[in-house]
Amino acid sequence: CSMAGEEDFFLEEKRFKQYCEDFVKHSQQIGDGWEWRTSKDLGDGYLSKTHFQVRNRHIPPDLEEKNNDNTEPTLFAHVEEPLDDSQAAGAGSTEEVVRYEYHVLYSSSYQVPVLYFRACFLDGRPLTLDEIWGRVHASYQARLQEGPWDTITQQEHPILGQPFFVLHPCRTSEFISAVLGGSQKHRRHTNYIILWLSTVGPVVGLNLPLSYAKLAPEQGTN
Amino acid sequence: MTDDKDVLRDVWFGRIPTCFTLYQDEITEREAEPYYLLLPRISYLTLVTDKVKKHFQKVMRQEEVSEIWFEYEGTPLKWHYPIGLLFDLHASNTALPWSITVHFKNFPEKDLLHCHSKDVIEAHFMACIKEADALKHKSQVINEMQKKDHKQLWMGLQNDKFEQFWAINRKLMEYPPEDNGFRYIPFRIYQATTERPFIQKLFRPIASGGQLHTLGDLLKDVCPSAIIPEDGEQKTQVMIHGIEPMLETPIQWLSEHMSYPDNFLHISIIPRPTD
Repeated sequence: CSMAGEEDFFLEEKRFKQYCEDFVKHSQQIGDGWEWRTSKDLGDGYLSKTHFQVRNRHIPPDLEEKNNDNTEPTLFAHVEEPLDDSQAAGAGSTEEVVRYEYHVLYSSSYQVPVLYFRACFLDGRPLTLDEIWGRVHASYQARLQEGPWDTITQQEHPILGQPFFVLHPCRTSEFISAVLGGSQKHRRHTNYIILWLSTVGPVVGLNLPLSYAKLAPEQGTN
Repeated sequence: MTDDKDVLRDVWFGRIPTCFTLYQDEITEREAEPYYLLLPRISYLTLVTDKVKKHFQKVMRQEEVSEIWFEYEGTPLKWHYPIGLLFDLHASNTALPWSITVHFKNFPEKDLLHCHSKDVIEAHFMACIKEADALKHKSQVINEMQKKDHKQLWMGLQNDKFEQFWAINRKLMEYPPEDNGFRYIPFRIYQATTERPFIQKLFRPIASGGQLHTLGDLLKDVCPSAIIPEDGEQKTQVMIHGIEPMLETPIQWLSEHMSYPDNFLHISIIPRPTD
């Protein structure tokens, strides 16, 4: 883990809150479901989004699934229309709904945002890390397995005190700098949260609609 | 200073006499006797309870045994917190031995992290050390170390080897001669009564004028309710490693001498006993 180097781009907490505010405004405009939650005691807070993912698993009748090590490509769909029986058509086809919860918190130790997430089935059973990995699209798994910023561990949520999975914040500032490059001036006009989340989010099944890229720089700041 | 080194040893070798009892609803083939053990304050429950696990598994059937977890008076104990912190926070003003209940079923998914192997404990321990160094030295000292040095910190903790651990850890306790302390102090303040598990903020050990900040300064800044007396009476105690350090103690000194092996000062705010 490194935090050294003037070239690395660090995010002050005030700026983090401002970027989150702009982010939520845009999310509200496009109905993307993000909200800001403030903690009652200390006034800090985090971004939060919950969504349900439906997975249609087509199991050929002669193949019985024994465990979770399946390599069958699966279809992911956001629930836009109500689920109806026609989606579970045919023998050997099951539907699985997973509730994903994503939180973006600020790490004062590393001065970067950190992505926390957890997932559970509708009956409340939480997914294990293996099950979560199994649902990330194969192309991301391959590409990001080498990346040092893809380490996922289970950790205690610093505000809620409950177990969440966390994408390790160690190398965040390093890769953000690599992506942002350019002058300080340019950096200050880019919404760090959008840039960062659009890169790390897909690793854990979280996608940002392209319209976020249109977010005007420094909306609401100054 | 000889005295200061003694503090390091006293912290390292602190022990809590504990009595482990199997949860009454666990299914056993014979009666389970309680198991007594001196727990190291500076270690982690899942690192030092192999003998406890073996003892109770002897009277249980294989199929009844899944991941072990511990509970004190109905509260699941977070294995990723150092043992001394758990005791200070939940049981410091109760009679010894500390009575912990052992479970092998119904793992509380909403409360506890899983701990499937020692590797998980090592990863957690090293992550804490790295975060502490990010605060103290912008990660420069930990990053300059070789992998074998990192390993030595973990092995020192795992095998209870004070000298082995401190041969490396002393480097994490140094600072440039032109500074008078670390950049920021790695600390966490815990109160059992809050939903928030702990308070952690950026805090400098040296004031802009060069004076050393004290424990009292830290508390005033991040947790004033801990030291402001209600109606003239101090309702709470500020505890580290089972003692109440004077509020005038420089926080830099506390960080160097009373941190846990993970390099964090874990501070408990607990109700003052009313006797």
